[in-house]
Amino acid sequence: MTEFLMSFWQTYNTLFYTVLVHGMLALSIYITLACGQLSLGNAAFMGIGAYTAALFTLKLNAPFGLSLLAGGMLPAFVALIIGVPTLRLSGVYLAMATLGFGEVVRVVFLNMSITGGSVGLNGVPPKTELWHLLLVMGVLIYFFLKLKNSRFGRALEAIREDEVAAAVMGIKTTSFKVWAFVIGAFIAGVAGGLNAHFTFFLSPREYGFDFAVDILTFAILGGTGTFWGPLVGSTILTILPEMLRFLGSYRLALNGLILVLVVVYLPNGIITVKKKD
Amino acid sequence: MKIFIRITVFVAFVLSLAFTAQAAEIKIGVTEALTGPVAKYGVPIKNGFVLAADEINAAGGIKGNKIVLVIEDEQAKKEEAINVFKKFIFQDKVLAIFGPTLSNSAFASDPIANKEKIVVFGTSNTAEGITDIGPYVFRNSVAEADILPIVTKVATKKLGLKKVAIIYGNDDSMTKSTYEIFLRSIKAEKLEVVDTETFAKGDIDFSAQLTKIKSLNPDAVFCGALVEEASNIILQARKLGIPNKIRFIGGNGFNSAKLIEIGGAAAEGSISGSPWFLDDPSKINQTFVKAYTKKYGMAPDQFAAQAYDALYIMAEGIKAISLSGNVEKDRTTLRDALAKVKNFKGVGGLFSFNESRDAEQKGRVLYIKNGKFAIYAE
Repeated sequence: MTEFLMSFWQTYNTLFYTVLVHGMLALSIYITLACGQLSLGNAAFMGIGAYTAALFTLKLNAPFGLSLLAGGMLPAFVALIIGVPTLRLSGVYLAMATLGFGEVVRVVFLNMSITGGSVGLNGVPPKTELWHLLLVMGVLIYFFLKLKNSRFGRALEAIREDEVAAAVMGIKTTSFKVWAFVIGAFIAGVAGGLNAHFTFFLSPREYGFDFAVDILTFAILGGTGTFWGPLVGSTILTILPEMLRFLGSYRLALNGLILVLVVVYLPNGIITVKKKD
Repeated sequence: MKIFIRITVFVAFVLSLAFTAQAAEIKIGVTEALTGPVAKYGVPIKNGFVLAADEINAAGGIKGNKIVLVIEDEQAKKEEAINVFKKFIFQDKVLAIFGPTLSNSAFASDPIANKEKIVVFGTSNTAEGITDIGPYVFRNSVAEADILPIVTKVATKKLGLKKVAIIYGNDDSMTKSTYEIFLRSIKAEKLEVVDTETFAKGDIDFSAQLTKIKSLNPDAVFCGALVEEASNIILQARKLGIPNKIRFIGGNGFNSAKLIEIGGAAAEGSISGSPWFLDDPSKINQTFVKAYTKKYGMAPDQFAAQAYDALYIMAEGIKAISLSGNVEKDRTTLRDALAKVKNFKGVGGLFSFNESRDAEQKGRVLYIKNGKFAIYAE
């Protein structure tokens, strides 16, 4: 039995790590969704975080904690720069701005020599341990649990339900939206830093539009009523393709079918919250 | 009577079980990008492996042991490649691993194989530094860095080149490395670069770049592009009036039957380099091309040929060791035996591993003549 568990863990530990990283990314988009804003830049923020953390480790020999912190801070700073002008507008403008931003980031990575250009960044030392991931995830869950009934959380919810009404009630909508966006970018950046240190290698193509959509799917599939939804969504979407591996070439077809069925029969996501009247 | 039949069936069943247990299976993991945009490389690679394994097994296997390929899709994603590698190593307990398709994935997954002391054999990873990952990493893909300087040298001499233009895709690691190698070899031949143009993956209109190239009137155009873009570039160049005597010279992307198929007359005379080419008249290659075309209904490409050779090279290594049944031990003895493979005769010509476990194979300079690949110079 222990031998079986050992080999099971050896085989699937990276998958488990990936589940946790994808969970963080799902939470990073959830916090902007929680105030009714759609960000398609989280893959790019993850990329900035991954490259920053990896370069801190590779070039500066920085301790892992510092690399991760830098990997979170830089995307957060970039988010502040983009967020302040775009979040003054309401509607879909954040989605458009972040969509363009994601493409800009990819092209910048491709053309910078310090990021290795299109060849990518090779030889990132494996420093991420299970407890790092569990610790970060634990902190995030604690943060989101506390958020729900905090001033900040309630403000976000008010903005989501009706931005004008929220503004009338005296909520500084722009500043709350910018904060949510910046926190989301920070989480995505840390997730990227953690991911970089167990996959040995980074390349610009990983952080493109496709992955931005994947992250959004995590949240939509799980449901955006509570933060547990995105966590469940990301876990299912990460594990499902591996579980269906025995189907060979049909696995992606079935994977897609399951997604369609969920969307058709559970349009609010897997975890739905009954609204209090 | 009924009972008798039952007993016979039972005995036959037990015997067949005993028989299958006796002939050991040699499990080899194959992971390639079988779905997604990279599948156009991954699928021919898989086909090459399956064809070679079927041939070896039909001929009685390796010392009577059958080769069993465990094939998994890695979608050209690094996380997938890592997951499959771990499955191969810890669950399937394979003897050795082939793949993954892209160098990008190999940089993520090969360190795991190296750490667990299992041979990983790449057939399509051409990036620099792959075999530096460690002593368990092998490849038979001939790096462009070895072939393109020869191509440049031969073309310069034969065509009397003086000034050249370059066009390449700057957002893809493969085409960008083609460009860098060309640039080095162009400098080594002391040619003048009159113009460098770039494009992005998926572009279909190259007239702006080609018009500029035309106005500068170079002697030849060096091209770092995958086959789809390369064919389009050549077609549009001829349409814009760049004459056929201004040759296009390319890297791995040019070595595909598709270039002739799409480019047609426009592609005549285009120059590339590779150890293997479809129309190589050697008997071993013609047998391979025939068998492959019969089995899959299309001609093999360079990726299929390299995979086909790779499995035979692996078989050479396995032949040289005696399997103990302890897979961890066999994996390390296989590594040592594989590193000693010398002068293997495959569809791509004579093959040996050098000290860094890279391919040591003579590259040939090719050109398109009458709609076929032919040797421009040995």
